[in-house]
Amino acid sequence: MTAPPYDPTADGGLQEQFVEQWRDAAYGCFSSGHKFCREVCPVMQVTRNENHTPTAFHANIVAMEQGNLTVADVADDYVHCTQCGACELRCPNTLFTGDFYRNRTQTVKVVKAMRALAVQSGIEQPNWKRWVEATIDAKSEPVLDVPVSQENVARWSEGLGLPIGGETILFVDCEAAFYRTSVSRSTAQLLQLAGVDFGLMREQWCCGGPAAEMGYTDAARQLADHNVADWRSYGAKRIITLDPHDYISFTEDYVEYFRPDYEFEIVHITELVAELIRDGALTLTQPIERVVTYHDPCRLNKRKGIHASPREILRAIPGLEFRDVDHVTPWSYCSGGGGGLPIEKPEITAEISRRRLARAKELEVDTLVSACVWSERPLAAAGDEQGIDVRDLMELVAESAGLDPRGVHGAAGPQQEVPA
Amino acid sequence: MTTFVAIRDTVVDKLRAILGDESVLTGKAARYNRTRVPAPFPVHRWAEYVPDLVVLPRTAEQVSEVVKLANRERIPVVPRAGGTGLNDGALPLKRGIVVDIKRMNQIKEVDLVDRTVTVGPGINMLKLNEELRKHNVMFPDDPASYPCSLVGGRIGTSGWSLIGGRYGHTRDLVISFQIVLPTGEIIEVGDGGGRKIRKSSSGFQLKHLFMGHQGTLGIVTEATLELVPRPEMEFAAFFHYPSYTAAWESTGALAKSGLASLGGVVLFDEYKLRYLRRDDEAYIPRPDHVRAVVATALYGTRDEVEPAARRIMRIGRESGGTYLGDEISSGDWASRHDRYATPLHGRLDTGEVVPMSWHCEDASINYSQLPAVMEKWHAITARYAEKTGILDDWGMFAYTNGAYKPWGDYLTEIDIGIWEQQLSDDNWPDWVACKREIAQVALDHGGSITACHGATREGDAELIPVEMGGGFDVMMKIKAALDPNNIMNPGKYELDRAYGLDEKVFR
Repeated sequence: MTAPPYDPTADGGLQEQFVEQWRDAAYGCFSSGHKFCREVCPVMQVTRNENHTPTAFHANIVAMEQGNLTVADVADDYVHCTQCGACELRCPNTLFTGDFYRNRTQTVKVVKAMRALAVQSGIEQPNWKRWVEATIDAKSEPVLDVPVSQENVARWSEGLGLPIGGETILFVDCEAAFYRTSVSRSTAQLLQLAGVDFGLMREQWCCGGPAAEMGYTDAARQLADHNVADWRSYGAKRIITLDPHDYISFTEDYVEYFRPDYEFEIVHITELVAELIRDGALTLTQPIERVVTYHDPCRLNKRKGIHASPREILRAIPGLEFRDVDHVTPWSYCSGGGGGLPIEKPEITAEISRRRLARAKELEVDTLVSACVWSERPLAAAGDEQGIDVRDLMELVAESAGLDPRGVHGAAGPQQEVPA
Repeated sequence: MTTFVAIRDTVVDKLRAILGDESVLTGKAARYNRTRVPAPFPVHRWAEYVPDLVVLPRTAEQVSEVVKLANRERIPVVPRAGGTGLNDGALPLKRGIVVDIKRMNQIKEVDLVDRTVTVGPGINMLKLNEELRKHNVMFPDDPASYPCSLVGGRIGTSGWSLIGGRYGHTRDLVISFQIVLPTGEIIEVGDGGGRKIRKSSSGFQLKHLFMGHQGTLGIVTEATLELVPRPEMEFAAFFHYPSYTAAWESTGALAKSGLASLGGVVLFDEYKLRYLRRDDEAYIPRPDHVRAVVATALYGTRDEVEPAARRIMRIGRESGGTYLGDEISSGDWASRHDRYATPLHGRLDTGEVVPMSWHCEDASINYSQLPAVMEKWHAITARYAEKTGILDDWGMFAYTNGAYKPWGDYLTEIDIGIWEQQLSDDNWPDWVACKREIAQVALDHGGSITACHGATREGDAELIPVEMGGGFDVMMKIKAALDPNNIMNPGKYELDRAYGLDEKVFR
């Protein structure tokens, strides 16, 4: 299928502006030509289709500048990305002279921008469209067949007596609030046990990150505006995230939306819990008799460089045999759960998770521990196939701290259908 | 006279029947992204080199059926592996079908007894070695593109390895392979027969005929590769010198050491040091009297490498070198795949920073000729840089070139930055002329115009008949015999002449 040539008058110059913004960054990749990104890309490893490579994502912009391609020609290719950031790390331009020239290859931003251009140009992916519409409608992502609604957004915390508002807020991701509530209950009770004062939001809406990742910038901004207003209404200063995707939204997207007036300290739970254990505020006494390895969530390790604190926590759990690999080898690993991929291309997500579990199996472990609730659904499905239990780090920490957090950790199953 | 016809819908239907719908790509993005390779091509004329469609086969039988169909229909076929070549091997000059073999990336057999691994041609060496590590063996083909190039492309270009002095280069490390001929037959080639036999005197040595064929003689669909023990020890040493001449003399002394564990010796010239130091003090933060650098690396068992390292250090120092220290030696050698050409250092004469594309021109040059060739290449580059205003001399390397006997000739490279955004019909001929003059210097000094990239592109290709002499007539006869309809990567290597065509390589 071939789209007609680009007519700049037809889209109000949208594509022209996009090319103008990204052309030199794209040339930085195009002209390097190394393609070292390709074999670490989790999607490319599965599809082996050069259209889905980070180099293609940049080269397309050069071709658009020449008038050879339009957004319609390439929109589907850009669906094939989990926004894990491995390509950026592996790029020689980033690795060797990036610091000096303040240059970082920004493929994730390019993918988000191209997806946004597609949406603005009226080229929408049907499942993403429905997903974002349902999110705006219910204010939370349509993660499951359980009622996803404002009335239920804090139901996971029943019986915990958590206050509303305060200086420190625990932001509970949609998947953790509705699907894998054992993660949110474990986290909340650990913080209570350690004496951390915190509250929940008056009205928590989706962080907006997934909408932004799928190219729906207006929807993302609408959700972000609400959340920041909610935080400000009781003078919140510090936001604790338990999901790495939220951590990205609050430390990257929100900063762009609200700067220079963005006053919040954003803390990821693994950093905080490692500190609480180090300071003696949390004592892990109950042995966990498991042989585990750790899945570095892409948004923690590859995108934020957070790989030490989860390992520190695992090593503090008595009874646990932790078979670690370095944090660089897993640059090429992923669950496939990010960037909206499981919503449009669930079969690719499933295969990426399958390969991740196969790596774990080589280490002869019985459990794969993650620290990203979005990764845990596809990983658990693959784990069921391969006889490996998939647990969240906070679930194990809570157990070792002697807590009985209850909550469900959602039965592994196929990604849920998006309501039509 | 062979002529090509546009691909008809019926052909597309037949391809879908062979491969399945999902493995026949006709979209524009798929085709544009199978056109370019890292080496600069006339990017301003990108649209002229776009293939008609792309297929993603999974088996040799599918490749064979595609080639048979193309041969019947007289459609050009261009195989594509990693598309990381520094030449135009994978660039479809005459449109047609690109056969992208990336999905043929299986490890089919690891034989730890007879020490081979059999793979599909779409596998990458880094990925292969990740799997082989658990058996404590490796496939030691180590080009600069180690993290991204694929075995099929290594065979297609007859690649060169950074540690080839110790372990050999691609031709030494690929024991045998399966290839689909231009008429669709699937054959196995080695030294003689025997998929795992390294040395034979049976018949013609067909492996060497097809090694470096640049897609003009068929499509490799499986390869049986050498396994070597993972080295117990790696030792790298970098030395600096007050002049290129001093470094060149030291390079000769190190290369002739006779140490079996010597992976290679690399000579960085004064231009390369100046380039690497542009703005960026991270690279070799040394005073101005550091003008040239030589790097060496040893691989093998501890019993071999420890005494060899002492000897290398002694030779390096006695031949005028000053050791650059453990940090630079081990660190820079470890980053050898990524380090030495970054577009971010690109500069115009005025000092303006522009996004420049890395082009690397290579040749095989005897040791005795290196200083003269170095001077001539820089002079040519300076002349065209001034004339075009879009070129930038990024310096030269010379690497030991021979497998196991790394002293007689050198893979010699000049890196040239090109501001591709400014390429046009006006300055493209200047660039081609620059390349051709560089290649001619190699011939004038008794060398070969390429050690590992291949010479299929304009500026090189027209000199292949000159370099090969009477051998080029043999090449044409072989090409015409194996590929009667000139469907395999037509237009490359001036081989169209075998069919009475006298077209320029680039239209």
